[in-house]
Amino acid sequence: MIWLTWRQFRAQAVTAAVALALFAVLLVSTRPRMASLYAASGIAGCHTSSCAGLASGFLNQLASTTPFSGHALDPLPDGFNLYPFVYTGSILLILLAPAIVGIFWGAPLIARELENGTGRLTWNQSITRTRWLTVKLTLIAAAAMAVTEAFSQLQSWWATPIGRAMGVGGSASVFTGNRFSPLAFVTHGIAPLGYAAFGFTLGAAAGLLIRRTVPAMAVTLAVFAAVQLAMPLWVRPNLIPPQHTTVAIGRDVTFGDYGVGNSALPAFSLTTGSVPGQPGAWVTGSGAVDRAGQPVRVLPAACAQQANQAGADILDCLDGQGIRIALSYQPASRYWAVQAAETGILLVLAAGLTGLCFWRLGRRRT
Amino acid sequence: MTAVVETEGLGKRYRGQWALADCTLSVPARHVVGLVGPNGAGKTTLLNLATGMTAPSAGTIQVLGAIPAASPAQLARIGYLAQDAPAYAGLSVADHLRLGQHLNPAWDAALARARVERLELNLRQKAGTLSGGQRAQLALTLAVAKRPELLILDEPVASLDPLARREFLQDLMETVAEQEVSVLLTSHLISDLERICDYLIVLAGARVRLAGPVDELLATHHLLSGPRRASDSGPAGAEVISASHTDRQSTLLVRAAGPVLDPAWTSAEVSLEDLVLAYMKQAAGRAGRARHLEVQR
Amino acid sequence: MIEFHLDGRSGVAPYLQLIHQVRHALRLDLLRQGDQLPKVKDVAAGLAINPNTVLKAYRELEYEGLVAARPGIGTFVTGTLSGGSLATLGPLRTDLRRWLAKARRAGLDDESIEALFLSTFRSAREEDIA
Repeated sequence: MIWLTWRQFRAQAVTAAVALALFAVLLVSTRPRMASLYAASGIAGCHTSSCAGLASGFLNQLASTTPFSGHALDPLPDGFNLYPFVYTGSILLILLAPAIVGIFWGAPLIARELENGTGRLTWNQSITRTRWLTVKLTLIAAAAMAVTEAFSQLQSWWATPIGRAMGVGGSASVFTGNRFSPLAFVTHGIAPLGYAAFGFTLGAAAGLLIRRTVPAMAVTLAVFAAVQLAMPLWVRPNLIPPQHTTVAIGRDVTFGDYGVGNSALPAFSLTTGSVPGQPGAWVTGSGAVDRAGQPVRVLPAACAQQANQAGADILDCLDGQGIRIALSYQPASRYWAVQAAETGILLVLAAGLTGLCFWRLGRRRT
Repeated sequence: MTAVVETEGLGKRYRGQWALADCTLSVPARHVVGLVGPNGAGKTTLLNLATGMTAPSAGTIQVLGAIPAASPAQLARIGYLAQDAPAYAGLSVADHLRLGQHLNPAWDAALARARVERLELNLRQKAGTLSGGQRAQLALTLAVAKRPELLILDEPVASLDPLARREFLQDLMETVAEQEVSVLLTSHLISDLERICDYLIVLAGARVRLAGPVDELLATHHLLSGPRRASDSGPAGAEVISASHTDRQSTLLVRAAGPVLDPAWTSAEVSLEDLVLAYMKQAAGRAGRARHLEVQR
Repeated sequence: MIEFHLDGRSGVAPYLQLIHQVRHALRLDLLRQGDQLPKVKDVAAGLAINPNTVLKAYRELEYEGLVAARPGIGTFVTGTLSGGSLATLGPLRTDLRRWLAKARRAGLDDESIEALFLSTFRSAREEDIA
């Protein structure tokens, strides 16, 4: 059965290996330039006060450097910014890998056997469907998780200097955000394993229930995309009860108004991306509150004038009115806890889908 | 002699329609059993139940004394050739043999290789490029080389040209002679069944209409011809299966335990084809009357 | 070794056809005592018929005392049919050839020769019985 699994999986395995190899070549060939820029930037031995500035400088350089210019075999067009492209592209690749695995490895797994009738050949050899499914799911799921994790680890290795620069507060171009940013979160740590397992078992279950490969691929893509959207919006922020604090309105608070409320005063919101004293924290919710801690949604009359001019004045005014910003957030130290919780949920979903596959296939329905 | 397939009140329902109902059979071992009937009569459903591809909606079925597909040991004793001989288009003939070897503990590799050589199949050729006859022979090789006690074949020659069909049946009979294996096959080509079957089951309208050894069936059915009668009834003690009339003559196909000695009738032997067609017509007649009543209501 | 053939449309059961062919061959001295009949497997494969059919024919012949089965080796001819020895068959065959040549010269075709022979054969038989 192991031989058969390998023989039928051979083409897909080779494709994945080639993709991984090309990916590695790209990353390895562009790493040295980044490393030398990083070494020259002085971030390694910087003092806390100057770090952010040095880091941003490095990241800006990185964003505009052209490592191959001057070489005879320069493959890149002029003005093309290689490093932002590779950075964003590699993250997107890791994001898509579970979907690709689900569509191309998972959906055809059972659907093709049913569609082509070859199930009637294989499931009448001296092997039960349960054993067939066990070997197939185990081996290919393991391959899926390994490949996705390999991509993720390669990318993490390549982006280490960028990570360090962003860690000390630098940012430029696409090199912004922290570990909790939606794209970064699902492509690092152990989350890729969870998504790979989920994507694959989703494809397999869709193939079994729908019984035709191409519709199963479409359904897998749709459901996976829905989950990828639902997770950061509704699930991830609430995996662990967030912490709360209320702080004075600082420099990086953003004022947004939503037009006219009642009594001709606009509704407004206050948002921010950071928590003072909590570097790397993830803000899951924010809102304006008054001195008593009650939510304030309508602009105080005293600040109506400044509302029409964007910028610091409106924030000063609100501050003068005693308005503060209430935050719910996850501190940076909870990164691994949230990773574990999300991966756990995905693995539970994968297990449920696996159970569904065994239940349906084993019930001897044609 | 033990039964290879034993069913009791077996039934299968798909979306409210009974594809097979009230099926009670005891199929003897060491016979070549023909399962015949019109399309949609329930033949493939019965085979799906026998191989464990699907579970009964009513009644029970036991194959070689166990529930179908219950265990690898039970699966190993049955060789199955599905309709249209499915094969992996991208795998070569040799790959298919390796499949058989890896998935069957009782695989006889020497037998498989000998068969493939004799059939002149190219080991490296992808199964997707084989002709229909070659694919059927490959599928039969896979079924036979696991040394089963029972071979189940679903319309094995339906889509083959006459030469391929004859070669397949010759090969099958040689296997039966060598390995003493029981065979259960479906076909709607009665001429083929006449040559190779010694036990017959007629399925029509989701029900078993006739089942028994071919010799016995032919001995207990008679074709009676005589002057034109008004009614369809025949001599005493004989059950009329089908009747046809011209303006001067009536012809009845009857079932009787012994020979029909009524002088009013001339008795002749019945061919297997006439027998099967008569029972199928009888089943259709009943169904037609039921339909007619439904419409009237 | 005798080679069997099957007439699917004759209405005669296959096993009976096999028996007839063996008896026919015995009468014509095409099969002699000690000759081996084809193996059951080979007949079944050659004609695409059920091996049980062949077994049935061979068993019937054995019951009639014409053949005997030796387990593991094969089935062999043991008896003869009263058709006379080679010595008597030879001259009779020559006579028959001469008669056939005469019938042809007289202008008879195959069907007429056959009809003439059968009707004479039957009426002669009636007279013998009477």
